[in-house]
Amino acid sequence: MVTTIARKDLQLLFRDGRLPWAGGVVLVLLATALLVGWERRAEISTERAAAQLLDYDDWVAQPERHPHNAAHQGMHVFKPDPALSVLDPGIDPYVGSTIWLRAHLQSELTFMPAQDATGLQRFGELSPAWVLQILGPLLVIVLGFDAFSSERELGTLRQTLSLGITSRQLFLGKALGQAMAVGVLLGPAAVIAALATFAGSGAAIGDIAARLGWLFLGYSLYVAAAVFIVLAVSAIVRSSRLALVALLGIWIATTLLAPRAASDLSRVWYPSPTRLAFNAALGADMGHVAEEVWQENFGLSTQWSPELPLDKWGLALQVDDHAGYGVMDRHFAELWDTFAAQQRAQEWLGLVAPVLAVRAFSMGVAATDFSHYRDFSLAAERHRRVLQDVVSADLVKNADPRGTGHFDYRAGTDLWQHVPPFQYTPPSVAWAVGHTMRSFGVLLATLLASLAAALFAVSARRAA
Amino acid sequence: MLRTLLLVARQEARLLLADRTLWIISALFVAIVGYGLFNGVKQAALKETALASVLQAQMRGEQTRRALLGRILHEGALPDPFANPADPSVMGGGYGGRYAYMPISPLAPLAFGQSDIRPDYYKVTNRSKINFLYDTEIENPWNLLSGHFDLSFVIVYLFPLLIFALSYNFLSAEREHGTLKMLLSQGIALPHLVAGKIAVRAAVLLAWAVIVPLVAVTILRPEARSAEYLGPLASWCAFVVAYAAIWFALAFTVNALGRSSATNALILIGAWIVCVLILPVVLNVVVSVASPVPSRTELATRTRLVTGEALTRYATLLSTDYQYVDNPELSRPQNGRIAIAGRMRGSYLMERDVDEQLEGLLDAFNRQLAGQQQLISRYGAISPAIVAYEGLTAVAGTGVRRHLQFQRQIDEFHRRWCTFFDPKIQEGIAISEADLDSMPAFVSNEEDRSVMRTSVVTGLLQLLVPAIALALFGGWRLRRYSVV
Repeated sequence: MVTTIARKDLQLLFRDGRLPWAGGVVLVLLATALLVGWERRAEISTERAAAQLLDYDDWVAQPERHPHNAAHQGMHVFKPDPALSVLDPGIDPYVGSTIWLRAHLQSELTFMPAQDATGLQRFGELSPAWVLQILGPLLVIVLGFDAFSSERELGTLRQTLSLGITSRQLFLGKALGQAMAVGVLLGPAAVIAALATFAGSGAAIGDIAARLGWLFLGYSLYVAAAVFIVLAVSAIVRSSRLALVALLGIWIATTLLAPRAASDLSRVWYPSPTRLAFNAALGADMGHVAEEVWQENFGLSTQWSPELPLDKWGLALQVDDHAGYGVMDRHFAELWDTFAAQQRAQEWLGLVAPVLAVRAFSMGVAATDFSHYRDFSLAAERHRRVLQDVVSADLVKNADPRGTGHFDYRAGTDLWQHVPPFQYTPPSVAWAVGHTMRSFGVLLATLLASLAAALFAVSARRAA
Repeated sequence: MLRTLLLVARQEARLLLADRTLWIISALFVAIVGYGLFNGVKQAALKETALASVLQAQMRGEQTRRALLGRILHEGALPDPFANPADPSVMGGGYGGRYAYMPISPLAPLAFGQSDIRPDYYKVTNRSKINFLYDTEIENPWNLLSGHFDLSFVIVYLFPLLIFALSYNFLSAEREHGTLKMLLSQGIALPHLVAGKIAVRAAVLLAWAVIVPLVAVTILRPEARSAEYLGPLASWCAFVVAYAAIWFALAFTVNALGRSSATNALILIGAWIVCVLILPVVLNVVVSVASPVPSRTELATRTRLVTGEALTRYATLLSTDYQYVDNPELSRPQNGRIAIAGRMRGSYLMERDVDEQLEGLLDAFNRQLAGQQQLISRYGAISPAIVAYEGLTAVAGTGVRRHLQFQRQIDEFHRRWCTFFDPKIQEGIAISEADLDSMPAFVSNEEDRSVMRTSVVTGLLQLLVPAIALALFGGWRLRRYSVV
């Protein structure tokens, strides 16, 4: 019986043109988004991989020069583009992808793509994730807002129930019908998206498949929750018109208003510093620590004062660098922890606005969320320190004994080769999924709550 | 005719007030307008405080440097080699660098625009621009992705929805309730009835959308009251009114089609989804494909290559040792001249070459972005939301165009700065006290008013022409409107 109801609903949706039309628009957008993402990744990933290789080759092949000069030129590292960025670019438009590893200071990711875009960027980034997260629930609303109410208006609900069908059976049939309608549209789209993700990606097939599986699960929970909410409203509200208005209101409030309000709230709860305040605090702490270590090691109160003999410059560089590491670690960790806390708060707000939870989950699994950027930034900084340490150790050993000839000293390929190439292994699926468990839990809770609401609504409201 | 209109309007106002709809919608609208404004005012204040403290720090620094230079020149003080105000290679660099800044517009609270990703100030030194041009504000990327709840969001996204809530059924409901026949039998012409109904709704909503922000901005930002900002404030109001006009025209036309209230609501929401949600996102992709910016990866690679070449070119200079360690006296100017450390000169020349060689590529980024902006000015008319967003942010002084103009000024200031220090570094001429007064200072220039005016007029036309066309079509349909 349940499947009969589902089949009937599906047929109706086909006949009144809603499924072909509304679904068609969503599919066209999905296809466009996929194509755009695929093109972008194809271009970016080969370019970055090539640039990374070239960068190291150039480092090793550089002519003989003073190691500190070489460290000033430094190296560039490029964040590899994850395979699933085709589906969900996550925070990509708002963070850079390149880090210039140079002497003295921890560098940050530069070249934010949003800086190379116009104000239209702020309307959203066309990606399959955006289409599913924002337009997905709308599609469900368009398909299902009158699932119960129209039957009530036409009087067929009374007839159906008089046949001995329980309201729960009816609900299951309706839910299945909606799921089939969405499935007919998104099923093939998911297969094409999966193929597009595999094609042209150098990552391991197992890794991609696992991520795709999780992503599929996450979006299924999201869409299912939307279906239950739509059915609940359709069952409880008097007319189809009211149901539609109520559902559109909920959709606008939860997908468009809530994310903005939530980010405001999270900033109130966990304020992040301005660039000015951050740099000032970092600079002040660096200064204090430097003062201490310079006093302790060289008996000097100012850095690089004329009283520091040239045969101590290499050592001073090493001491100075090492003193800064802890300070930078502390300041950046504090900043990034604030970002993480802001996101965490917003994921919990996903209980009210599920789009926040699915967004966090989706970009986490796609490896385009902040935790992945943080991991990359840390790896890059570790590499910068390796470079610094190799250079400083060499200066202590070879330049310092030369006294006044300090900057005359030149090192060659032997030293350059001591710095290993930057090899970054992005976190595994297990790591990514582990980091998204909170948002997954929130999604699951939303699903259960919406299911309960739907069941309650269906049993509370009979055919009247 | 006017009397009939007034009569209809008064009656309509009475009905709406009794219905409570107007109260609810007004309360909701004022609340979100207020919240959007609150966020905008907070952001603008934050930016202003930051800019003020940067400029204050610069002033303090300059006083310290001036005092130190005086002590060096007149009292024979011995400066730190890397904090030596007499040494042009140090003063032209990070130690003496000056800020280029974009003043926060008094209308900034009206739209966040680009203010959360593009800084309003950069410290300009004689190093290559690549060193400072890509600084960003600190903001959680997740929050940037979400966007801000500012007044432009309220106007562009939510205002049309409130217009719909009041107008989706202003004619269809009368017909469905059977009251339309009654009204028209009183000798009121249908166009008068429609005009009266729309006038009341538009008056109420526009009063909230225009007056609340105007009052708030002129009270909280007294500079906005000056004659200079009268034009921009009027333009801002005109954009809000023109944007409302197009949505009211749509609601009118949809009602004139004579469908049911439910269908009207669906058509209006559908149009909103297409215009506000879908078209801007799609046009963003189109302009980035049509006027693509060069690759940032390539910029990184080129930077490394030209830096490497410059290191080799100036290897001899860079290999010289700091003489001041053995001879601290060298840090003090003698007869207007000073010994510039070879390494300092080498570093400067290196940066100069890197800047020259990257210039073309860096320009290409701004050129392509300006190209995208131009495409939007031309094709943004496909969606009123795009035109309104662009217009509102431009008038508020937080749009891309003003930032691009600022970048051009930075370029120019950087050139002036380098030109001032170049001969001094090359020839070892010490910085004198007179030089401190003649050092290039950044003067911010706003973009040409005629450019702004043209863009405002174009934007308004892009909103008003379709609004009038829609209204004419609606009027034509209204003549064939069946009241039963």
